[in-house]
Order: sequence, then structure tokens, then C-alpha cells
Amino acid sequence: MSEAELKRRKWDNTKLSMSVFFANKVAVVGLIIIMIYVVDALIVQFFPQLLGITNVGSLVPNFINPAPSPPSMAHLFGTTYPGVDLFTSTIKAIRIDLFYSVLVVAIGAAVGSLIGVISAYVGGLMDEIVMRITDVFFSIPYLILALAVGFVLGRSLLNMSIALAIVWWPLYARYTRSQTLSTKEFTFVEAAKASGVSRVKIMFKHILPNSLPPVFIQISLDLGSIMVIFSTLAFIGFIANASVPELGYLTSLGLNYVQTAPWTVIFPGLAITLFALAVNLVGDGLRDVMDPRRRS
Amino acid sequence: MEDTLRVSNLKVQFYTRRGIYKALNGVDLYLMQGEVFGVAGESGCGKTTLGLTIIGLLPVNAAVTAGEVILLGERDLIATLRKFTSKGPDKFNLRQSEEVMKKLNKELANIRGSRISMVFQDPMTSLNPVLQVGFQIAETVITHQPRSLAQRKLARARATRDDIEQIMKLLKEGADEQVINRYAESKGLRGIENQVLNVWRRSDLGEAKKGKIIMSLHSEKLGSFEKMVLQSVEKRKNIGGWMRVPGLSRAAKNVLLKEGYIEAIELLSMLEVPNPDKVVRMYPHELSGGMRQRIVIAIALANNPELVILDEPTSALDVTVQAQILELTRHLKQRFNTSFIFISHDLSVLAEVCDRIGIMYAGKIVEMAPTEVVFNKPLHPYTKMLIKAIPTIDGNEIQGIGGAVPDMRNVPLGCSFHPRCPDATDKCRAMKPETVEVEEGHFVSCFPKR
Amino acid sequence: MRLWVYVIRRLLFLIPTLIGLTFIVFILTHVSGTNVILSGYMNPKLTGLAKQLLIQKLTSEFHLNQPIYVQYFYWLYQILRGNWGFTNTPIFSGQVGTAIALFLPNTLMISVVASILIWVIGVPLGVYSAVNRDSAADHTVRVGSFTLYAMPIYLIGVVLILLLGVYLKVLPFSGVVNPVSVSALPWVVNGISYPTHIIIIDAIIHNSWSVAGDAFLHLILPSVTLALAIVASMIRILRSSMLEVLDQDYIRLARSKGISERAVINLHARKNALLPVITLFGYTVAGLLGGAVVVETIFNYPGIGYWTTQALLASDVGGIMASALLFGLILVFANLLVDLVYAFIDPRIKY
Repeated sequence: MSEAELKRRKWDNTKLSMSVFFANKVAVVGLIIIMIYVVDALIVQFFPQLLGITNVGSLVPNFINPAPSPPSMAHLFGTTYPGVDLFTSTIKAIRIDLFYSVLVVAIGAAVGSLIGVISAYVGGLMDEIVMRITDVFFSIPYLILALAVGFVLGRSLLNMSIALAIVWWPLYARYTRSQTLSTKEFTFVEAAKASGVSRVKIMFKHILPNSLPPVFIQISLDLGSIMVIFSTLAFIGFIANASVPELGYLTSLGLNYVQTAPWTVIFPGLAITLFALAVNLVGDGLRDVMDPRRRS
Repeated sequence: MEDTLRVSNLKVQFYTRRGIYKALNGVDLYLMQGEVFGVAGESGCGKTTLGLTIIGLLPVNAAVTAGEVILLGERDLIATLRKFTSKGPDKFNLRQSEEVMKKLNKELANIRGSRISMVFQDPMTSLNPVLQVGFQIAETVITHQPRSLAQRKLARARATRDDIEQIMKLLKEGADEQVINRYAESKGLRGIENQVLNVWRRSDLGEAKKGKIIMSLHSEKLGSFEKMVLQSVEKRKNIGGWMRVPGLSRAAKNVLLKEGYIEAIELLSMLEVPNPDKVVRMYPHELSGGMRQRIVIAIALANNPELVILDEPTSALDVTVQAQILELTRHLKQRFNTSFIFISHDLSVLAEVCDRIGIMYAGKIVEMAPTEVVFNKPLHPYTKMLIKAIPTIDGNEIQGIGGAVPDMRNVPLGCSFHPRCPDATDKCRAMKPETVEVEEGHFVSCFPKR
Repeated sequence: MRLWVYVIRRLLFLIPTLIGLTFIVFILTHVSGTNVILSGYMNPKLTGLAKQLLIQKLTSEFHLNQPIYVQYFYWLYQILRGNWGFTNTPIFSGQVGTAIALFLPNTLMISVVASILIWVIGVPLGVYSAVNRDSAADHTVRVGSFTLYAMPIYLIGVVLILLLGVYLKVLPFSGVVNPVSVSALPWVVNGISYPTHIIIIDAIIHNSWSVAGDAFLHLILPSVTLALAIVASMIRILRSSMLEVLDQDYIRLARSKGISERAVINLHARKNALLPVITLFGYTVAGLLGGAVVVETIFNYPGIGYWTTQALLASDVGGIMASALLFGLILVFANLLVDLVYAFIDPRIKY
């Protein structure tokens, strides 16, 4: 097949993929929601004045009026203890949550994938050892492991992310390992080996590009899950700093007032749920695109 | 004699994201009792779809736009599906299609497994991996003939030693099936005759051993619960009434199941499976492909259906097993007078067993005739090319057929074969040929060859 | 017979996993410095000479003067002996062993109830949803489980509190039982009930039905929260597994035998569809354990999870270390159980 034909095939395929994806209306809605969150984070990061936010990195308490007050014109989402405006806090918190979740997934996926691919390709004893290590990591419930690691490193946002990344990499290692194992068997790898290409080159040029695409779907799905777990850790009190804008932490502030001031827990909680929902919808849409059977 | 099966103008299509595939474009065929009818053609010509439509096991995205499938004595089998397609939605609606399929399944449940059954192509995936094969065989008997199961066991219990001795005498004298049946009836031992004959006809045992087994078929002890269940089933012909109570129905089914396993063993020995008593307790993955296919055949034959559809039963197996299956088919045809539809892409296989053959192309039967006629006097160009493509011992050059099967989303205008036909004329390109009976029993759908 | 070989191999496999687990816990505690062992086993109430003596004793017992890898073995020895250290949290201060004995039963209670709920709700819904694909019920179930899956577990708990505890005022949402009702009972001492430490069971044992009823009401919200958090993913997995099974050749063959649709679903399809769900049960247990931590915190339910969060907030080394070890052990054995059960059920497993 000529170059031009190959290119045309690829474009046709891409067109089919896009039409399949955009036919799924809920997936499109999800995508829009995710983009809103990203835009929010970017605005807070670079142009906080646009939204009237002065203290980007911390909550602004109001000790004169510490009691939570219901949503009103002045406070769109109401306030929570101690007098913190929920609307601006949520907007600030989205940036933090999004940033750290991406960080966790990036580190976990990068480290895990690399280890997984190398381990599968090299095989032998190294593979066995890596498998055992991942088994041990799997044997500790992720929440507990994150707690323990965080406890050791110190209870801050960054350390929480590192803890979660440590919990998360074995998943990617396992996943990419199995992908690599099946790619390894393909004959084009044999062909490359037969023509004397070095092992490292084979690994990077042939195996990696073929094992990775499914990983991307996993990564996009994980963004939602990680944010949920991240906020859960913050909720139970992981972070020592009492004024960090984080969705889980915000929810915990309202816990004591749930009977009189339910909005204090609903809005931050809703912010997280919405994001996780959107991510899952997009993930579903992506799966529709990738799975050859669902395409028909 | 009326036809066992008649298919008229069957048109079936499939909805996919890439378009509508017209799999069957007006299939006509008829089948007589005790015949083996072969359906031949390349992959993609629609032969499997034909088989599936007859038994009604189409996937949800299938639609029957026209045609009828009439089994002897029944009305049109696929009426429900056809009616739904004609007045149903123009776009594919998953939920409604599923509803219609469920309805169809319910309607056909009586016929499937008892009057029509099917053997699928891949024995590796046809059997349920978590159920014993004996169970899978027994299940179909319990579903359709619980009464005969009950009678078998009751007959063994009622028979006395004298009765059996008498039967042995009759057998040794060379009495045939009728005589034995009559004898059993007269003694109220309905149900014993099959058991006796199945053992007697086994070819893997010596006469002495067979005698011994038969002689053990009497005065069997029954537990009281067993007896209740069996007598109740014998009377009402199914599991009903008091046996429907949740706790009891399981126990009642188990009583029948035990007898079902015994019948399964008999079936398997008839199909020449070694150690059938061990095999029935095994799981599919413990058996080889040839064995699994025999299990599937046993399931298909368990209730003596009138029609068995075999979809490429040998394609997934190696040649020696293939030969065995073919031999089996011949044997069964003789024994039971069952009609078979044998689907295969391999004409040489069909030549071995079939009485008549239909050649399929692009969703239509283009030629249909008795086997020798097809091979000696083929009329349709496609048939001729298929025959020339068969490798033979005398080393004649094999001639492949140029071109490829048409894209079934856009079937060519006129005769669907014309792009690949060496004798195509303008008429062929413009109009669809009718099917004409050139001589008795020989049908062809082709303009130049009428 | 070959099944037993698999069982034995699986059991042997347990050992390196356990060693790995204990090693990680040990390393974690150790990263903060050698004194961590001391603070983990130290009773803070001791002062002066008693404290010095204890320090000396601990130093020699744990060989704190020796290199790390040696220390690991002495620590492991203590663990195996049952000496898991000292915990010092606002809700409890004392030997870790005692803490576990007091708190674990409650966690087990809500975990078990949640597990039952998960199976009783999850399996029928998952199967029904797959069998009636695209029906109104299916869409409802899918949307519901999708939403639940996206909600953090604390939010599920909070929403339930709002709905049932605050607006409908139906269920209580704090503690294990109403403290007033147990204050005068002889078998409850200092908030701890005897003999099983599970109030609802002890109440039944002591024929105190009103207390049992009250304890039961207090059980509901935490268990339901846990169950809802996990059943969401279970339904999704079961549904897709069932859909896959229904597409298989052997289902088509079963239909060609003319057996009833109900038999096809319940006899042929369901068992095959449940197999992958069972393998994932290990993750379910992990989710239960992690979820228990959150749920107990929200509902003030005195179980292991609650103790863990308290330990975290109070920087209680002994508590964190012990609970990490405990959770890990529970999960390891749960996974073992799952593997063995699966090997028994799936006839294809023959090593």
C-alpha cells in the first residue's frame, strides 16, 4: 500500500472514531465538563483577578461571622465554618485537586509503565521479582498504604500525592506488563530481532508504541478515581494545614454542621462527583471508539 | 410425501455501523424426510445465516425482510421476526429487537431440541465450560421428554427376571425392533425396549458382555421419593403440580437427571465414544475436539429430531476425525431417517454424504440438484468453477476462482455472480435470473444455462 | 488430586507475600528514625526511672543498636509473639492487642453486613440489567451505579445522613448505640460490651431486645454506605461480564436445545458471568477495608478504621504501624480465600 493510501486509511479511521465518539452524547457532555474544570484551574492559576480571587493558595476565613450561612447573592454557595466562602473556595480547590491528581497519575503511570514494560521484555528472574513486589503492594489496601506512607513522609499535599503515586504504580506495571507480553509475541518483533536491531531499540521503537495506547484510556479513567481517593484522604484529615483549599477537606469542614447547614457538604462533594462522572463518561466513550466490536 | 422443510424466498439482512448487510437474498429450498441436503459455498455466501434462520437463532441486529420457513405440520417458524421487521422501526432499535428475539425464542422453544436441532461449527466454544457434558446432554432430554425418562426407570423397576430373559430370547432369535416394542408394551414395560436395543446394537462389546448388561436391567430398586416423582412425571408428562414447590423441584429434577445421565451414556456409546460412563462426568476442556463434537451431536440427536442442521461440523477438526463424523452421519441417516442439512465450504466433503446439494452464492441458491447430477452435469458457471477447484488425486491443475465475494452491502445489479462469471452477458448484468427447474429435481438460476 | 497441588502452591506463595508485607511496614516505620520503635512500644504515661528501664528493655529486646536488617528479625519475632506495641490515641490508650480486640469486632460487623448487602443487591441487579439490555430498568441501574461510582464514599455517607438521618429522621448516624440505653447495663463496662464486644450480638445473648434493636438501627447507615460504595463497581463488572457471556456460542447452543430462557440465564450464563466477579472479590475486600476507615469516621463508629484515623491525627506510631499490618494481613488472607474458592468452583483450573 502506498504512503498516500496509508494516510487516507488512517484519516478514514480517525473520522470513524470521531463520529463514533461524538455520537455518544453523554460522552460529549462529559468532555465539556472536564474542559470547564481545566479552564477553571488555568484561570485561577494565571488570572485569579478575573474571578476576584486574591488568596489563591489558601482559604479565607471570616472570624467575625464563622457560622455557616446559606447560599445568597454575596455567597453563591453559602459559607462554611469558619466563615469561608464556598464558591471561591471550590473554584480554588478545583485547581489544587486537578493539579495533584494529574501529578499522581503522571508519576504513577510513568514509573509503573516503564517498570512494567522493562520487566516484561527482560523477563526471567527480574520479571518474577517485580511481580512479587507488585503482589505485596496489592496486598495492602490502598487507603492504608497511602496513610502509612503519608504519615512517614509528613502530612502535606505533596506527600499525599507521592503516597498515592506509590500506591498506584503497581497497577500500571501489571497492566503494561501484560500488554507488552502479548506484543512481544508478534512476529514483527521477531523480524526486528532477526535483522540485528539492538534490544533497547526494539523496546522503544516497536514495543512501547504498541503497548501504550490502551494505557492512555486507563490513565484518563484513573484521573477521576484518583481525585476521589485524593479528596477522601484529605477528608479524613490527612493534611495538617488547616487552610488548604481542597474539595475533600472542604467537605470535612462542614461535617459537624450537616444537620443545620447541608450546603456545606453538598457543594464541594458535588464538585468532585461531577468531575468523576464526566471522566467516566468520556472513558466510556473512548472505549466505544477503541473496542472493534462496539464500533459495529 | 410432504416436505419436511420448505424455505421460500427467504431474505435476511444485518444492521451494522458500516451499513446494512444483505446476507440472504431470496433463498428457496425444500427438504424431504431422511435426506441429507448439502449447502455449499464460499465464506460469506450466507450459508451459516441460512442455518441460523431456520432454527431462529439470529443475532439481535438481524432482520427478516421476506420469506417463510415452514416445518412439516407447523406454520411459518419465523413469522414473528418477519412481521416485526416489516412494520417495525426503520432504524435499528436494540431494545425492541431484543424483545422480539425473546418472543421468538419462547415460541420456538418447543421445536428446538425436539424437532429441529443444530450442530455448530466450533466444538471448542459450543459447550458450556462449567457444566459436565453429561448434564448438557441430559438437560435436553429432561426438557423435551421427561416422560420417557421416567418410563425407562420405571420399566427397569417393574421388569422381572423372566421378562428380561424372554426379551433376550427374542433378541437372539433375531427379532426386530417392532417385535420387542410390542412385547414390552404387552407387559407394561414401555421404556425398556430402547435400553435393551441400545445395548444390543453396540459394536464395541462382545455378545456375552452385552447379554450380561441386559440381564441386569430388571427389578431395580426405587426410593419412595424417586417412585413418587417418576410416577407423577409418567402420568402428567412433565414436571408439574406438587413438584413445582421450590425446594422439591430441585430434588425432582435430580431424580430425572440421574436417569438422564444413564441415557447420555447410551447415546455416547452409540456415537462410539470410549468409556462413556467416565466421559459424562467430565468437563468440556478435558475432551478433545472430536469428542466434543460428538457430545454436541449427541445433544442434537437425543430427542430424535426430524431435522438436524450441521454447520461446518468438520471444519474445525482434523481429517481423521472428519472422516469419523461423516461416517457417523451416514450411519445416523440410515438408522433414524432423520433429515440433515449439511453446511460446508468443502464440496468434497459434501460429495461423501449428501443426497442433494444446493450451491449458494451471495445469499441465493444458484443451483440445486442430486449429488451426482451436481458433479456430473453442473450447469451454473459458479458450480463448475467450484468443482474444478477441488484438489484431486489425479493431479489435475486446480483452478481457482478469480475475484472475491461481493460486498454484501451493495449486491451487484442483475445476477450477483456476473462480475466473476466467464459467460456473463449483458442480460446477466441487467436482470436477476429466475430459478428454473431444468430437469426433474435440478434447479438453476442462470440466464445462459437454462 | 492436582487440585491439592494448586492449594499447597498457593499456600506456599503466602510466605513471601507476608514477608514482603511485614518488611514494608517495618521499613515505613523505620524511615522516620530508630526511635520510632521506641515510641511505638512506649507507654507515654511512664516517667523517670520506669521510663528509663523500659527504654533499656526495648533497646535490648529489639536490638536497636544493631544494623537494620537485624532489627527487622527481632521486630518480626515480637510481632509473631503477639507484642504489637502501644497505642496512644484520644479514644484509646494501651496495648495494641487490646485495641484490636476491642475495635475489630465492630468493623467486622459492618463489613459482613455490607458484604451481604452487596451480593444480595448486586448480583440480581447486574444480571437483570444485562438480560434486559437498554430497558428502562437497565438505564436506571446504569445511571445509578455510574453516579454511585463517581461519588466519593464520604459523600455517599453524608447524603444518606442527610436523607435518612436529618430529613426523614429515620435512622441514627452516630456511634454504635444510644449511650443512655446502655449506661446501666451490667454487661457493658466503660462503653465496652461483653463477651463479644459487638453490642448487637451481646444484646441478643443477654436477651436485651430493645438494645439489640437500637444497635441494629445504628448499624444500618454505616453498612449501607459501605455497600453502596462498592456495589456500584460490582454491578458494572457483572453486567459487562454477563453481556459477554450471553454472546458466547454455548449460550446459543443452550437456546438451540429449547430450554427455557430462565434456565439459560440462571443455569448456563450466570455461573460463567460470576467467575470474573469472584476473582475481583479481592479488590472488593480492599475497598471494604479502606471504606471502613472513612465510614467509621463519619458515623463515629468505634472500629479499626476509626482507631486508624485517630492514630493518624495524633501521630501515634504504634497505632499506624499496627493497623497497617492488620489491614494488610486481612487482605492477604482474604485474597487467599478468594483464590482457593475460585479454584474449587471453576472446573477449568487444574494444575
